[in-house]
Amino acid sequence: MRERILMMGNEAIAEAAIRAGCDAYYGYPITPQNEIGNYMARHMPERGRVFVQAESELAAINMVFGTAVAGKRAMTSSSSPGVSLKQEGISYLAGAELPAVIVNVQRGGPGLGNIAPSQSDYFQAVKGGGHGDYHQIVLAPDSVQEMYDLTMLAFELADRYRNPVMILADGRLGQMMEPVVFHEPRSSPPPKPWALTGAKGRKPNMIRSLLLGEGELERHNLRLQKKYARICRAEQRWEERNTADCDILMVAYGTCARIAKGCIASAATVGIMAGLFRPITLWPFPSEPLRRVASSAKCVLVIEMSAGQMLEDVRLALGGSTPTHFIGRMGGGVPDEDAVLQKLRSLVRSLRKRKSL
Amino acid sequence: MKKDIYIRRRPKSLTSVPTHYCAGCGHGIVHRLIAEVVDELGIREKTIGIAPVGCAVLAYFYFNFDVTEAAHGRCAAVATGIKRVLPDRIVFSYQGDGDLAAIGLAETLHAANRGENITVVFVNNTVYGMTGGQMAPTTLTGQKTATSPCGRDPVTMGPPLRMCELLNTLDRPYHIERVALDSPAGVRKAKAALLKAFRVQLENKGYSFVEILASCPTHQRVNPAQALKFVGEQMAAEFPPAVFREEGRVAHA
Amino acid sequence: MLERVLIAGSGGQGIIVTGKILASASTRTLPCVTFFPSYGAEVRGGTSNCQIVLSTNEIPCPVPSRVDSMIIMNQPSMDRYRKMLVHGGLMIVNATLCVSPAKMAGTIAVPATGMAERLGNIKAANMILLGVYAAHRKVIPAEHVEAEIRAAFSERDARLLSVNLEAFRAGLAYGRNR
Repeated sequence: MRERILMMGNEAIAEAAIRAGCDAYYGYPITPQNEIGNYMARHMPERGRVFVQAESELAAINMVFGTAVAGKRAMTSSSSPGVSLKQEGISYLAGAELPAVIVNVQRGGPGLGNIAPSQSDYFQAVKGGGHGDYHQIVLAPDSVQEMYDLTMLAFELADRYRNPVMILADGRLGQMMEPVVFHEPRSSPPPKPWALTGAKGRKPNMIRSLLLGEGELERHNLRLQKKYARICRAEQRWEERNTADCDILMVAYGTCARIAKGCIASAATVGIMAGLFRPITLWPFPSEPLRRVASSAKCVLVIEMSAGQMLEDVRLALGGSTPTHFIGRMGGGVPDEDAVLQKLRSLVRSLRKRKSL
Repeated sequence: MKKDIYIRRRPKSLTSVPTHYCAGCGHGIVHRLIAEVVDELGIREKTIGIAPVGCAVLAYFYFNFDVTEAAHGRCAAVATGIKRVLPDRIVFSYQGDGDLAAIGLAETLHAANRGENITVVFVNNTVYGMTGGQMAPTTLTGQKTATSPCGRDPVTMGPPLRMCELLNTLDRPYHIERVALDSPAGVRKAKAALLKAFRVQLENKGYSFVEILASCPTHQRVNPAQALKFVGEQMAAEFPPAVFREEGRVAHA
Repeated sequence: MLERVLIAGSGGQGIIVTGKILASASTRTLPCVTFFPSYGAEVRGGTSNCQIVLSTNEIPCPVPSRVDSMIIMNQPSMDRYRKMLVHGGLMIVNATLCVSPAKMAGTIAVPATGMAERLGNIKAANMILLGVYAAHRKVIPAEHVEAEIRAAFSERDARLLSVNLEAFRAGLAYGRNR
């Protein structure tokens, strides 16, 4: 067995980034993700790599932009209010087709909110929080090991598609410690002939998202949409638990998915057949696989730490084919196993009632 | 004599694309001076420019080396992100007064305070040109613009911001200089300042900043000849041309 | 096997380091371990707590609402958290700083701060209580805990390490004799 190291979620992200060959990290302090910046400050310079504590989240995301322009791997991390500030930069990265990794260890909102875990930035992350028709790839870990694994994947996907990739975690996943097994990246960064490195022996390169020519911007957008369609086909990821013969299919990601996993076993002891569909990519959302899995369930229960944001994507995916219910907490509240179980019980009761009619 | 011949051909660092600048605008001259300096230093193949948001947004079409765009005001952050991972390339930002001194003031000050080994070319013409002549942080007291129609009132709008003086309060900048493009002599001084600034970076000495007072006849609301006078008299009175920082030491306060 | 532990006290009593040592030691033998600290503004007021879950199965929630064991280092923590203990759970209390150690079954009152003072470092009270815990709940071998104490303190000075080891062993002996 390979060595298991007890590690905090935030530090697992930082370690994975370093092992993935992240050349530069730029960040601005905000709870509950400070351990990422602290870890990078200790370990990037000793490897001859770049760590800069930026003057703001705006500066940090634009330093990421600069490093991506130079063809190197860059990452920034923040939490909800700070990620709001980064949205302009993310739109520019998407427009200029630059690879970058952005980490959002979500906390309660809106506004300054609190520092407790939350999933209320789902819309911002998957619908394009900045201006323009764009998408970032959004990866949602549910364990410290996945914080590591998905960060490594994020760098790979960012380079493969020349697109920003977001790790969407929350304060609980960031702060908790769990054993992690390290692994090395599967591939090295691809060549980047488009990067600005000085026009030596070639024509000058140019990075821009301003396209003023007649129809130029629309053609650019059409090309972006084709790329997004390609990502949708190739990169949907999800996990299924007990989905083959469940009556109630829970749909949850991140921290809520872990709660749901606990509920499968405890529900079984009281005779409730519950399963779990866990999207790992929130964009692209695994709509087709969800529809397939949900078709054999009697109803769907979406569990979130929000007012019901992923719920909308679940409903879109199912198109009304399976009754869809929701349980959620907001402002830093986390649904507990008891509350979910109670909801499962009441759903089973109403299913039986309907049957007896 | 050699220089006279030089004027008649295009520097290698400029493309043949005609610029979109208005008649009498200072940007075209600054572009040419930068291109000449890059040529003379033999650094065209390792220079990376950062174009701002503002009138010079299309600078990447005019320079014959690698150029990227940056979001409004963020040039210094983008320059930091490039230079830190490619320390042997020459990285410069080209910014106007709104970009550098208003929306990008934080990035400007912090990059200077970190002593990033970059060159910042600041073209100050007292107005937002691209958006139609609105008030800039450097608009002169009493100057009429689209958003100060009765003239800039320092009581409600603040007086003009003097960037060289502001940066000169920081420890880390290595070279800070202000020049005025109001005459052939001013143009020569501007080129010397740019040459100095790029050389400072080339020698890894640190942060260099050149403020160039430039004409914008369209929004300074005068004809091109009067615009040069505006630069040399009114602007230069508010923003005195001088070497503020030389060899890392305060030369003029 | 499922063991949920809460460690609570005031800032400076080494609550977080105790929890991390327990969690790291468990990582050597158990497939599933979680550690969760109180963080941010919450800890600025002077209270500190962390929760550790040890299990042979996947752990759905690192912040359980009920716990099987608690290590309580001061009175406010006892008042605040005692209700989280399951019926028949183990409560180890720092009797030096708790004026009214709970009279619940399963409560072990240990004059830990006093004992630590006699060992030469008042801050080692946490390791004494961890020793008592290790003696009572045999989910992890004592030598694994000792190895983690070494790992945690070896980078600092040798005296700090030896007093912490000594404190842990004193706690083990105290726990075994009860």
